[in-house]
Amino acid sequence: MTACSSKPSAMPQQFTEVSEEAQIYPDYRDVTIPPNIAPLNFMVQDSLADSFVAQVGNLVYGARKDGKIEMDTTEWRQLLSGARGQELAVNIFSHRRSGWVRYPAFTLHVAEEDIDPYLSYRLIEPGYELYRQLGLYQRNLTNFHEAVIYENNRAFVDEDNHCVNCHNYQNYSTQRMTFHVRGNHGGTIITNGSEAHKIAIKHDSILAAGVYPSWHPTLPLVAFSSNKTGQVFHMRHLEKIEVLDEASDLLLYDAEKNTVRNVLRTRNALETFPCWAPDGRRLFYCVAQLPPSVLEDYTAFNVAMRYDSLLYDIYSMPFDPETRTFGEPRIEVNASADHHSCSVPRISPDGRFLLYTHGDYGQFHIWHQSADLWLKPLEVESSYPLTAANSPEPDSYHSWSSNGRWIAFVSRREDQTFSRVFITYFDKQGQPRKAFLLPQRDPEYNTLLLKSYNVPELTKDAVQVSTETLKHIVYHTDAELATYKE
Amino acid sequence: MSKNKKRSPSSDPSPVLEGSSVSSSRAKEGRPAASKSNLSPLPNRGGAVLLFFLLAWLWASWWMGDVMRIASERSFFAPDTTLMHWLLQQRMGWLWLLGRALLTLYHWPLLGGLLVAALLTVGSCLFGYCLHLAPRWRWLQYLPAAAWMTWTASAGLNLFYRHEPGRILAIPFLFLVLCGTFSIITWLYKRRQMPLILREAETAQPSRSHFSLFILHASFFILIFALPLAITHFRHPYMRPLTRMQVQLMHNDYEGIIRTAHDHPAMSYRQTAGYYVIALARTGQLAEKLFDIKLDYDTIWTETYHGLPSASLNYHIVDCNYHAGLIRAARHYALEDLTMDGPALYTLKYMVKISLLEGDWKLARKYLHILYKVPFEGAFLRKYEPMVQRPDLVQADPEFAAILHNLPPYHTFEQMAEKPAFVGFYATLQAFSSPEMLEWSTVACLYSKRMPDFLMRCRKLVGTTPPRSIAEGLVIQAAKNPEILQAFPQLDMLMDRFQLFLQDARPYMKDRERGSEALFEKYHGYYPYYYFFGNLRSTRKPDKAEEQEHNKAGVN
Repeated sequence: MTACSSKPSAMPQQFTEVSEEAQIYPDYRDVTIPPNIAPLNFMVQDSLADSFVAQVGNLVYGARKDGKIEMDTTEWRQLLSGARGQELAVNIFSHRRSGWVRYPAFTLHVAEEDIDPYLSYRLIEPGYELYRQLGLYQRNLTNFHEAVIYENNRAFVDEDNHCVNCHNYQNYSTQRMTFHVRGNHGGTIITNGSEAHKIAIKHDSILAAGVYPSWHPTLPLVAFSSNKTGQVFHMRHLEKIEVLDEASDLLLYDAEKNTVRNVLRTRNALETFPCWAPDGRRLFYCVAQLPPSVLEDYTAFNVAMRYDSLLYDIYSMPFDPETRTFGEPRIEVNASADHHSCSVPRISPDGRFLLYTHGDYGQFHIWHQSADLWLKPLEVESSYPLTAANSPEPDSYHSWSSNGRWIAFVSRREDQTFSRVFITYFDKQGQPRKAFLLPQRDPEYNTLLLKSYNVPELTKDAVQVSTETLKHIVYHTDAELATYKE
Repeated sequence: MSKNKKRSPSSDPSPVLEGSSVSSSRAKEGRPAASKSNLSPLPNRGGAVLLFFLLAWLWASWWMGDVMRIASERSFFAPDTTLMHWLLQQRMGWLWLLGRALLTLYHWPLLGGLLVAALLTVGSCLFGYCLHLAPRWRWLQYLPAAAWMTWTASAGLNLFYRHEPGRILAIPFLFLVLCGTFSIITWLYKRRQMPLILREAETAQPSRSHFSLFILHASFFILIFALPLAITHFRHPYMRPLTRMQVQLMHNDYEGIIRTAHDHPAMSYRQTAGYYVIALARTGQLAEKLFDIKLDYDTIWTETYHGLPSASLNYHIVDCNYHAGLIRAARHYALEDLTMDGPALYTLKYMVKISLLEGDWKLARKYLHILYKVPFEGAFLRKYEPMVQRPDLVQADPEFAAILHNLPPYHTFEQMAEKPAFVGFYATLQAFSSPEMLEWSTVACLYSKRMPDFLMRCRKLVGTTPPRSIAEGLVIQAAKNPEILQAFPQLDMLMDRFQLFLQDARPYMKDRERGSEALFEKYHGYYPYYYFFGNLRSTRKPDKAEEQEHNKAGVN
């Protein structure tokens, strides 16, 4: 064992116990992790130390002064496969001038259940109005590989500049996928296996193009919200940006027939964030009633001025897959009754739980400090916050794993601005565990990255369509206009 | 040639003047040159090289020092692939990365200038060696360096604004590397002599010939250095004063900014005016001196990312919003810059300051952590890192205290302020949390010639002695409304000058552009002159490029 700043390679034989807890980043202390997750590399921070050793289970890794404990993926995988349902002790040692010290140990709880191996997200700067280089990426959660699904121009080319957003998959499979292209080469991309095509949803009878999508779990149908969205910037306020809808409706798009129709088209209510139940027999969505004062003088400016009066509830409508008709809506979460608002309803794969974002007002909760994840067991009336997973900063845009045991979501808890992916275990009693940051090969990565993660979506397989195919479809094909059909 | 190949350089003392008939013949004859080196021409040849080096250093550190210093602030380099990923994925990203690394030396312009001078001088000598130039043509070796200097001068703000700053020093560095590589290849395969600058011994030439060559070189140097100087001075006259003001702002040298502005009173670019206003506001002289310089809203044209003309409206907007207390608007534009241009020292430092002012400690820590990776930023880190989670230290900082003092007094949306926000917000402000804020708002009304709004604000000044430009604004109104004279009796003293001004101005009332020129010398600094003949362009319609810059919008 060396006392200099080279990387140690063995456990210290002599050390002193200290009572202070090790400062580690990311905070993986006492988290519950999937048995197929990539190594939880972390950094130990101790300004008095010049080298470190971490013992995770039976693995031992050293670190130099930067404190970066970077584990071997193969060894880690073997460790975790033998520790399903068990706990792994983590001991950390740091070498100070006086010798080695050992911090109090902590535990990693390895769950029985795997997480879906792929996570898709968008990476974009958390800017106000502009975008430049951004893309949709897919991370293999069992290692550190990040594949490009689609990227816009890396070098700025004005005539090709475009944004991509709102990716969505059918029932945790990448067989069917959709995302939007905004700006030049605009349209909605629909994929089927390794093929793709571009459509345009545009008709006098519908409000605007499709925005937030939700694939029906079995049928070739996509429920879209159709939103006229704007934003205002606070000059002196707790929040910085307010994104709001001046108007919004719900659409149903048939991917086989390329037809679209209105599901809900209302003047005095804002409907958004559609989400199918796992059996495909019910559509959940959010609704806000426009205040009467706004309806009297209905302008985008007036809607913006009443931004904190827009309170969204969650409703659902029955759907008959045979006739493809919707029944009467019923309220699921009456947040406005408590002067709160909710958004992004997501139903657990077993159909028992409704997970949503709860905030003080509005629907674009990722910019709201009050935004937290809440859960409503569908068989009861009451909801509750996922306290163990939440943070004082915005927590939103959640995605269930296909087995219902994991939730991936984004949170700004790291630095209040750049959203990062967190994963939490969700037990059979409907309770979450402490969430952990998506592991990276370089544990410092998230502190340096100047982009935000948006809309994490878990899938069971890798995206099948190639980046080149998508590039060709976006750049070189015209969008096929969807036919409006009542 | 074949004989040359057989000789080793060390055993070949042949004369050096490659390419000349004399040297060629001597080389062929294999005569020792050492015996003819009694005239020691090295100082002459070295004299030209040394002269070029010194002129290049002077040009790169004194003339272009502030320009390059600001270019380095608008750049970003860290030896970290995560932070530089966005650059490395660009075509030629590694080269631009190298250029950015070199540009960091402009943290100290003398050092940066030294580097540039060295790159240009050694590159030129190697280029001359590669070309195998005869002495009388050796001045040609400086042409690439001259071309580069001319380019840097003629690029204007396009040198670094909305364009890759790594290009600036990557180009001479690449030139040096290419010439160096080619020189080595030439030397290895042709066994030609090393360039003179690298050799200890020199060959003989009559001293008179060397002197005339030196004069030839010196004349050429005057030409090649005069050209970029002239371009900067005549084509982009704003470059040096503007960047000087920015450097002065970095050092909180507000009096220096005012001096720079007063040194160029006829300069009327919106950007230079913006920095002048910041300095006046910080020193409490806004209402006294705002109209001392020409404020004609002139446009500095640059190119957008895709080569279209741009009015550069946002070049200084973060600085202005920040110093006007509109830190949210400053944050907005800093984040847009971060999105469009990638990280820049300028942007990151503002993000640190704004995060500290907002109490966003975690965010401040993140940006500071990134700046830790950047060379030479220790002073900034030492100043601001202790302020994290210490609001008392934030409030005790004079710059922060001034900004906190002028935060918007009530909640509103940025979109409700006219653009640019730092003028539009203050011109339409309805409540004032400090006397300074009232004064800024009153002067903003004067600047935008909103006289009814100006008079409303002046009601709060009744019983006081209004500052100079406010008094002069009142004089204009007093001519129409004598009650103003009753409220401000001291204005009586100013009426005579106003009448005199009106007499002088009468011939130009139908041709204000001409009047603006004719009366400037006599009346600049006098508000009625500005009111009638200043900022005439503010009433015109924005052109297409300006419209486009205003109308960008989208929800990400």
